[in-house]
Amino acid sequence: MSLTIVTEDTGVPTISLTGRLDTHTAPQLDAELTRLLAERGAVTRLVFDLGQLEYLSSAGIRCFVRSRKAIEPHGGKVALVNPQPPVRKVLEIVKAMPPGGIFSSIAELDAYLDDMQRKVREGE
Amino acid sequence: MSRRLASLRMFQSVRARLLFWILAVALPIYATGMWLSYHTAEQGLEADAIRRADQLAERLASDLDAVIRPIEGGVYTVAHQLEEVDPPRSEYLQRIRGILNAWPEVYGSTIAVETGGRNRQVRPFAPYLFRRGSQIEFSNLARESYAYSSLPWYRSAADGLKPLWSAPYYDLGGGQVWMITYSVPFFRRLENRTRILAGVVTADLDLDWVRRTAARVALDPGGMGWLAAGTADDAFVAPIGDTQQYLVRFDPALRDTTIRHAAAAMQQQNRSFAALPDGLSARPAYLAVRELRTLGWQLTLLMPEAELLAGARRQLNRQLLLGTTGLLLLVIAVSLVAAGVARPIRRLAEAVGEVSESDLQIRLPERTRGDEVGVLTEALRRLRDSLQQHVQMRAQSIAAEHRLEHELQISAQIQQSMLPHGEALRVMPRGVEVCAALLPAQQVGGDLYDYFPVQGGALLFTIGDVSDKGIPAALFMARLSALLRVLGAQGGGPDRLLAEVNSRLVEGNDACMFVTAGCGIIDPATGTVRYASAGHEPPLLLQLEGTVRSPAPDGGAAIGINAGEIYPLQEVLLAPGDLLLLYTDGVTDAEDRAGARFGLDRLATLLRDSAGLHPAAVVERVVQTAASHAEGFHATDDLTVLALRHVPEGVTAVSIAGVPRWYINIGDDAVGMQVAQRRLRSILVARGIVGGRLHDVELIAEEWLTNVLRAAAGRSLPRLSLELALPEAGIELVFRDDGEAFDPLVAEPPELELPVDERPVGGLGIHLIRQTARSCEYERLDGCNLLRVQLDRIE
Repeated sequence: MSLTIVTEDTGVPTISLTGRLDTHTAPQLDAELTRLLAERGAVTRLVFDLGQLEYLSSAGIRCFVRSRKAIEPHGGKVALVNPQPPVRKVLEIVKAMPPGGIFSSIAELDAYLDDMQRKVREGE
Repeated sequence: MSRRLASLRMFQSVRARLLFWILAVALPIYATGMWLSYHTAEQGLEADAIRRADQLAERLASDLDAVIRPIEGGVYTVAHQLEEVDPPRSEYLQRIRGILNAWPEVYGSTIAVETGGRNRQVRPFAPYLFRRGSQIEFSNLARESYAYSSLPWYRSAADGLKPLWSAPYYDLGGGQVWMITYSVPFFRRLENRTRILAGVVTADLDLDWVRRTAARVALDPGGMGWLAAGTADDAFVAPIGDTQQYLVRFDPALRDTTIRHAAAAMQQQNRSFAALPDGLSARPAYLAVRELRTLGWQLTLLMPEAELLAGARRQLNRQLLLGTTGLLLLVIAVSLVAAGVARPIRRLAEAVGEVSESDLQIRLPERTRGDEVGVLTEALRRLRDSLQQHVQMRAQSIAAEHRLEHELQISAQIQQSMLPHGEALRVMPRGVEVCAALLPAQQVGGDLYDYFPVQGGALLFTIGDVSDKGIPAALFMARLSALLRVLGAQGGGPDRLLAEVNSRLVEGNDACMFVTAGCGIIDPATGTVRYASAGHEPPLLLQLEGTVRSPAPDGGAAIGINAGEIYPLQEVLLAPGDLLLLYTDGVTDAEDRAGARFGLDRLATLLRDSAGLHPAAVVERVVQTAASHAEGFHATDDLTVLALRHVPEGVTAVSIAGVPRWYINIGDDAVGMQVAQRRLRSILVARGIVGGRLHDVELIAEEWLTNVLRAAAGRSLPRLSLELALPEAGIELVFRDDGEAFDPLVAEPPELELPVDERPVGGLGIHLIRQTARSCEYERLDGCNLLRVQLDRIE
């Protein structure tokens, strides 16, 4: 009944969540996000790896929404990768992510990000 | 024993038997001998009597001949001279006197001349001389009145022309005495050389001498005899000896004529010796008859049987006396011998009869006899000695048995003390009810159970069954118990524990004992049981709703067999109210009279019927049912049952109409909530609800709880409870709180279409609940808010 948070802070910070993200563990993630945002200042990309996340409740969703609120206004983007079916179901019910915010795998995310970079480069 | 000896009847004794058979054999022999002897004596006496009768007859004949023959000769000589010389008649008298002078027995004599026929011219002439006292007198018989020529004494001789004796006659004319007359004819020669009868010479004999002669003869005592001239009643009879005297004594009514008639009749039948015919006399007697060669008289002898056989009787009496004495002596001797044989036997019997278990001192005679009794005594002595030895050994073995019994009792107590008891039971972790029972078949057994707290608030429980029974099994079990306690307390799963125990017990297990064991560790918080089995019967799981399963069927080999054996770890989840039952094969192998095993099916059924009972009640029920199944039958195996039930705090588990329901109280803080959520999750997992559906239920519960908590922000928390029911194919959740009335279902759904930074935080929970559940109902009941949520079991 716990949550393990592993933050990979290289380039695009990736937070891997293992276990349960619920009312009781959400504060941990909130704290981690606060720390990360404080350390990194402007974060344009934030990836949550949900492959090992077993459980997600509305409290957890709030974490994702809060991170989106912190990043998206600055043109940043939050991506959820590889949610398990129950988790994906919850995410979909509450429409927590915009279309294209949830990726089935890291590879899909990488492809998406490469594509975005190319577009930005071409746009510039 | 002695009473039976006393009641030995007389004829059953050795003495009586000996006497009976000896007498039975001896008496007939004696009797036959005596009868033969008597008979022989009798025959001898009879023959003797006959011989003596012959002798007597001969003697009498001789006596008579001695008188008669000379007289015959003399008279014949006179007659011859009268023919030859033909003297003148004057000389006749002289010749007659000569006869009288020569034989004193001659009473009288005459020479009577023939006057008939050719002598017609002769004058009768018959001078007769006879004795009168010592004088000789003359009588002329030729007197007219006498007419001698017609008288028998003359006529028979004259007609017969030869000498003859007359029959005795009683002389009335002359001497008034019995007489017989010898008459001899004499002849005269004529010129033509013919002889004509000239007369008859006679000599009369006074038979008094015959009487005297007869009287002089001595007969056997009691014997009687008569010398008789013919059988006529008036015939001359001379009693012999003291006959008349004896006859009166023998039978006063008996007459000698009667006897002589009988003798004559006998003679006609050519029998000379016979019994006196019946009817003649009351007393038996023998009769002998002889005809004398002289005169043709009869000698009749009568011998009373008593006297004749007196000798034989005497001999018989002597033999009887001798025989009786002999028999008496024989009886005495046999009695003494029999008593001599029986007495020591009886003494032995009495000595043996006094024997009792407490007193084996059979007092046997010391002196050893050489006979069978001695052999018997010796045999009894050996018997006594070996009996005493046996009794002594028995006493020793009983003492040893008592000692062993005592030791066994202590062992049983020690073994009992190795089972959880007393203070140890009070430190059991909460959330688990555990109870066990062990029914040893013998005082000490090879079964074992144990349970004790281990690290992490868990409870280790174990059950075991040593292959053997009795003390070896108990010792092995003690080792196992100690190892489980020590190694179990060190932590680690039951699989490792069994492996460790196995490696210790395999070492030096020369007795080749082994034990099947089941070992589990239950986490009371979650109801998770980690279980491993070493060849033991798989446990049975009785779920709250009454289903019975065998949740951990795998296992390794029994402990003590293979070094390095691996015991697979199995996991069993107990929902609150679920009960796990461990047992030894003593339960399933309990056999009734017909040999029918109690069996696993019976146990499962019994368990199913015991749903909802406390483990103690279940254990008691199983033990009693299995024991009564084998009632009256000696239990052959130990019987052990261990039951544990998961009863976490704050959860009430009931089953209503086969639908399990759990009421989960929720603490009034975050921890309480977490605990409640864990409970819910455990129950769902234990009932196989996993994956998405598990996620749904957990989500619903959390969102509701969060919602209630948020609604109560700042105020005191309401009392909360959660009810989970698992009807078939469905999941039902009832949330209850006693807060202010609030129907979450009337709230507006959140604006999910707004951009994220414009959406308010919150309001998602109820939405999630409504989206996830099949149905949601709100109700205000008894001052409580009730939210009833239903889901399908399958997504």
